[in-house]
Amino acid sequence: MYSWRKLREKLFTCLIIALSVLAIAPVLHIILTVFANGFAVIAKAGTSFFTDLPPTPLSKEVGGIAPSIAGTLLMTAISLPIAVTLGLFAAILTAELPSNPLSLAVDAIAKSLASIPTIAVSMIVYTLVVVPMKSFSALAGAVALAVIALPYTYTYFSTALRSVPSVYREAAFAIAMSRWGAVVRVLIPVARKALTTGVLMTVARVMGETAALLFTAGRFRTGVSFSPTAPADAIPLLIFDYILSPYAVWHQVAWGATALLLLAYLMVFLATKLIVKEVRL
Amino acid sequence: MFAVEMNNVSVYIGDRQILKEVTLRIPYNTVFVIMGPSGSGKTTLLRVINRLIDLVEGARVEGFVKVLNFDALRSDPYELRKYIGMVFQVPNPFPHLTIYENVAVAAKINGVAKSKRELDEVVKWALEKTMLWDEVKDRLYDHPHQLSGGQRQRLCLARALAMKPRLLLLDEPTANIDPVNARKLEEAIVSLKDEVTVVMVTHYPHQAARVADYVAVLYDGRVVEQGPAQQLFLRPSTEIAQKLLRGEI
Repeated sequence: MYSWRKLREKLFTCLIIALSVLAIAPVLHIILTVFANGFAVIAKAGTSFFTDLPPTPLSKEVGGIAPSIAGTLLMTAISLPIAVTLGLFAAILTAELPSNPLSLAVDAIAKSLASIPTIAVSMIVYTLVVVPMKSFSALAGAVALAVIALPYTYTYFSTALRSVPSVYREAAFAIAMSRWGAVVRVLIPVARKALTTGVLMTVARVMGETAALLFTAGRFRTGVSFSPTAPADAIPLLIFDYILSPYAVWHQVAWGATALLLLAYLMVFLATKLIVKEVRL
Repeated sequence: MFAVEMNNVSVYIGDRQILKEVTLRIPYNTVFVIMGPSGSGKTTLLRVINRLIDLVEGARVEGFVKVLNFDALRSDPYELRKYIGMVFQVPNPFPHLTIYENVAVAAKINGVAKSKRELDEVVKWALEKTMLWDEVKDRLYDHPHQLSGGQRQRLCLARALAMKPRLLLLDEPTANIDPVNARKLEEAIVSLKDEVTVVMVTHYPHQAARVADYVAVLYDGRVVEQGPAQQLFLRPSTEIAQKLLRGEI
């Protein structure tokens, strides 16, 4: 009886390990393939991969993706504060006043935003920003990215704040903290790990978004621009365009760009893991 | 003069009536114990006093509550709470703050201490009052998860005391801690009554007998008996109080 229980335990452990390997294997395969192909290209191009313009279709040189790196950084830098700030305030509102009609409306809007196709967001921002400005721009791209990121930040932050046990909130009120004081001094610090993870996931979402930029950013690849009002490019947009092209050198650039994007994700994840400590309850 | 006066206080949460026309008088500088079986409304009664009942979705309070000369139900709850400390059933020190900060934050928010020196003094005083100072003086900058459950509860009491409250609400403060820490907490409570009025909820008749000056027995949302502790323990006049003291309910 006892040995059968032990055997079952072992079988169960083996099954869990096997299923875990099965689940991780495709992801590992993708990461390794991207790194193997991508880093070969980056190594061949050297530092010019980060500083040069993309190659012409028939070029022998790999060139670089500087305009796309600049555009991704610029649009992330503009869209992230918008999405994080609005998402955080909306999450605080709905966590603190869950039955308030405004909270219910904010919650419904945020959830419906998440279900709008990103290409549709791109078209809407095209009519609202690109047409009046008479130009594609990093700003238009960033607005589209912020709209797409907002439901993510809201959901992550809202879940993070609601996960703080109510006893801490009560303790804050019991020492005469105001509602705002309780949020700033207790709820946010206690949930800091989950909140930071939310920001990080949003960075990943924004950096990897393609469809939102199709009708907004402008695919500017003939120079490096940090102007919000000028057309811009983004790494995923470049990958999308180049991988669909028939040119071998552009395929190589796309591999290099994908590896760079993936590396950026992993570095941000690692940094968050190392820097932000979980609050032990 | 009473620290707390309640007249015909009823509390509803949704359609359910939790407190039924409760009338209570809690004299200043006494330890007033509220006893009663689970679900009799003891915690709700405490939360009416400091208006934490406002946090309960769908809660409605009727009647008149006077707390430290405040018309409690009509006053600004944040202003009211400046004078009322509270310790909860489950120890809940702020996990992101150090031991020192947990106590200091209450003093800072309520303007009890202005300079760093004053703050240090208040923190030391509060930790001494709760008999925690000797145990934590060398690790004031540790976090509360490094303390035992009982020490954490005494830290919560120190946090409440650092506000320099005039009224202290204790919601079954020893329910989740070991007997040694429970005894230390009781000693601290008794020593406090010269400075503060204590309202304590407890399940344990023996504990009530050790610390109480006055006792009220709550049953099914009603105060069925109240009076000086000695009188109530020696000659309980209602059957419910007798059963409660015998541990039958």
